[in-house]
Amino acid sequence: MITMARPNLGTPGPAPLRLIRSEFVKVRTTNAWWLFILGALATQALAFLLNAVNAHFFLSQPTPPGLTAEQAAQIDANRDVVLQAANLYTSGQFFGVMFVMLFGIVLVTSEFYHQTATITFLTTPRRTAVILAKLVAAVLFGAGLWAITTGLNLPATVLFLRAEDFPSQLGAWPVQRAILLNLLAYVIWGILGVGIGVLIRSQIAATIIAVLAYTVGTAVVQFLTVLADWLDQEWIADLQWGVPSIASMLMVSGGQTPGMPPWWVGALVLLGYAVVAGLIGILITRRRDIA
Amino acid sequence: MADAQIVVSGLTKQYGTVRAVDNLSFVVEPGRVTGFLGPNGAGKTTTLRMILNLVRPTAGTATIGGRRYVDLDQPLRTVGAVLEASSAHRGRTGRNHLRAICAAAGLPMKRADEVLELVGLTPAAKRKFKGYSLGMRQRLGIAAAMLGDPRVLILDEPANGLDPEGIRWMRDLLRRFATDGRTVLVSSHLLSEMQLLADELVIIAAGRLVTQGKVETIVNGMAHAARVRVRTPEPEKLLAELGPAATVQRTDDGSLLVGGVEAPAIGAAALRASVELHELTPERPDLEAVFLELTAGKATIR
Repeated sequence: MITMARPNLGTPGPAPLRLIRSEFVKVRTTNAWWLFILGALATQALAFLLNAVNAHFFLSQPTPPGLTAEQAAQIDANRDVVLQAANLYTSGQFFGVMFVMLFGIVLVTSEFYHQTATITFLTTPRRTAVILAKLVAAVLFGAGLWAITTGLNLPATVLFLRAEDFPSQLGAWPVQRAILLNLLAYVIWGILGVGIGVLIRSQIAATIIAVLAYTVGTAVVQFLTVLADWLDQEWIADLQWGVPSIASMLMVSGGQTPGMPPWWVGALVLLGYAVVAGLIGILITRRRDIA
Repeated sequence: MADAQIVVSGLTKQYGTVRAVDNLSFVVEPGRVTGFLGPNGAGKTTTLRMILNLVRPTAGTATIGGRRYVDLDQPLRTVGAVLEASSAHRGRTGRNHLRAICAAAGLPMKRADEVLELVGLTPAAKRKFKGYSLGMRQRLGIAAAMLGDPRVLILDEPANGLDPEGIRWMRDLLRRFATDGRTVLVSSHLLSEMQLLADELVIIAAGRLVTQGKVETIVNGMAHAARVRVRTPEPEKLLAELGPAATVQRTDDGSLLVGGVEAPAIGAAALRASVELHELTPERPDLEAVFLELTAGKATIR
């Protein structure tokens, strides 16, 4: 009998670390990750510019006359330097979290698009562990992108405020809170992305639907406000806080503008979505036939 | 080596109204190559995927060494599977594809290079998967299956896309595996390939087991299918001499396929009747004929 040489295979490390490492090998060896980071940085630069122009206007101009009391109150709230600072320090969040969501989507859908789900689940038949590793990878990517964008926003905002003759505002709790909650937003959108990827297996469909829902869905808010005014039903306008993208903007707002619920409402809404997306993702993946 | 035995028992998969696999049971022993044979659509792929926990059975179980695939501690160190040729990210190199699997399985990264060497893909290791030919993709799939030095190999139509040299290479590899006391289960609809490769056959059609056994046993068990090709200018005279024991089928080229009578008896009859014989060839039934007979009427599109 011919005996084949037995290779030295070593002993495997703990499963969770192995799977997360594998996800990182997968991410690192394809192009999506740096394309998403580039996209996030380009949109962040634009966002910072817009926020800076906006802040300059509110911080330097007096409230224009001839407004209703409600409009004046809203503008006055925006004249708060703490609110403007929080907004500047979290510049780029709108599209940044969108790219994190896309990252989470691609993490799952590329396995089906390229038919690698088979070898992935052959290697790890306990599918819950695979999805958990993907959730961790998406969370780490989100946290990383938050670190990069925040690292750029910090010096830029400090310089801008100094040019406007304001201190950095970094000692103010609402500002610190906004920066930290911004991290939560980046992380949660990664989880949402993984959940969406599991629900919509087609890479193209998942990407398009998610981006449309994210950007156009935000426009639905305007419609809700109009509808609420028209029907004279205030609660309809409040539905907008249930839209994930609006909730994450609400969560990082540095101060309370009239007519807006407190920041933690946004945080709770987003956390709710993340838990539901993660659980649905795991349950579906466990049952699904990989053919 | 019962720890490398595959036991399929009562396996059933229902897709809507179609019963793709229907109460299928068979055992695959180590130390030999077992061919899993059936026409396209017979349920081979679904069965293999149920053994590997990729598809949930409607009923029944499949175990490898007494354990379900999902319960194996280190699945890749027990079972290597090659299921479809095109199963790597198009933008990832073959080597990185294998390294991602190594990471998940807790295998040393250098295993990726070792198996690339084993399947002869080292020159293409750092090329992106989209540039691989069908044959190279198949080799990469086999390389992935070898990563964990498994005791059991399961391959779904591995010959697809391989050139004749690649097929010979794969045949040798599977042969070595089996000789080494490991289990090899390989599906195919290519009967000629199975006749060269397999020691044992599991034949299914329409999701059901048709027969299982050694290749020779199955072929010889169909001895009644053995016929003799006869060419003669006076067929009627010869047939009259042969009598009612002979069954005759006339072929397009004018020869006769005579069943139920051995070649020497036909020669003797020709001598008695003074009939010229231009050809007298016993035709051993090949696997293909046996297979077609066994699965006749069941290989319909479902």
